Amino acid sequence: MSDQWTDRLSEYLDGDLEGPERTELEAHLETCPACSETLNGLRRIVIRARSLDDRPPARDLWAGVAERIGAPVQARPLAPRRRIAFSLPQLLAAGIALAVFSGGTAWLLHPDAAGVAVNQPLLLPADVPATNIGAASPRNYDSAVEDLERVLVEGRGRLDTVTVRVLEQNLAIIDQALEQARRAVAADSANAYLNTHLAETMRRKIDLLRQAAALVSAVS
Amino acid sequence: MTRTRPGPVTLRRELSPKSDSDAVDATLAASGDPHAFERLYRGHIGRVHSLARRMLGEEDADEAVQDVFVRAWEKLGTFRGESAFGTWLHRLAINVMLGRRERRGIQRQRFLENEDVLDMVPGRRSQPETAMDMETAIGELPDGARQIFVLHDVEGYRHEEIAEMLGLATGTSKSQLHRARMALRRQLDR
Repeated sequence: MSDQWTDRLSEYLDGDLEGPERTELEAHLETCPACSETLNGLRRIVIRARSLDDRPPARDLWAGVAERIGAPVQARPLAPRRRIAFSLPQLLAAGIALAVFSGGTAWLLHPDAAGVAVNQPLLLPADVPATNIGAASPRNYDSAVEDLERVLVEGRGRLDTVTVRVLEQNLAIIDQALEQARRAVAADSANAYLNTHLAETMRRKIDLLRQAAALVSAVS
Repeated sequence: MTRTRPGPVTLRRELSPKSDSDAVDATLAASGDPHAFERLYRGHIGRVHSLARRMLGEEDADEAVQDVFVRAWEKLGTFRGESAFGTWLHRLAINVMLGRRERRGIQRQRFLENEDVLDMVPGRRSQPETAMDMETAIGELPDGARQIFVLHDVEGYRHEEIAEMLGLATGTSKSQLHRARMALRRQLDR
């Protein structure tokens, strides 16, 4: 059954019906069970449409794409790119390490939890090189990284093996991200987003090295 | 009687901001790195293929998707990161798919011709005794109405955008959408 309002129900449902027409339709819905039922049915259709899931094709289509763009086709699909993420054991180990670090050496805490004020020199024990990272010419950055890495290398024997492994794994992940970010900036040096991304990744590395260096000092 | 107050449909498929890695990969791919492009492909293939299946049908989807990614590779230099890579790719995919539709000879007039066909959709059921899922029911809509339904109700585009993409009047998009929904309701609610 349909009436003059039936064809307007989708417009009403989508909020496209305004003013007197909308008021009239709402009054009509109060007295017309058929239109109300139709409206509810249309609403169910919209909800179902919005909840459809995406699914990949039944077969891998990359080989066909790769051939057409002249890309090498690998025998196996690429593994998903490693992201800067921590497994549960890593998080546990890192958590323990940080708890020791925090409890025993609160004075070593990062100068800015948000990681913004990286220009401030760190307050570090005498055997940890103080570095002004954020002034951040590439040479200063490299020098700061070298200093902190040296502290870590020299002090790694004083850390337990789990902590060392977590630190090294995380440094490797950050180095991989740094390499990608540098290549991206090299390809598009004017891209502000990419430059920011690179700077943040560099800062992540410095933050981790700072924590590692401080941890070495804390257990010395 | 209580009714839920309707509201405007918004773009529900605003793409998730995994765009950090996408933006980096898009830049690498634009500089010729096929591995970065493969990562983009694998990250977006499900969505693009689902769009193709719904817009064009199962039989044309694979080829259309390959066309989409080849075109994306060719056009990567135009991606400036002003929107998420997924948004850029999705719009490009729609253009490629609509281009295929036109090449298949489905012209604007077809939308109008479909009006009567839509009313007959329940009679086109291929499996009358079995429950029909939403994807199958969408696939049984006539081309024009199906594309409008997918773009509006699945992908979240507005009628004005759809009308521009398809070269139709906004009112035609609205009326086709309503008829498509009514046809789907008849298919699915019984």
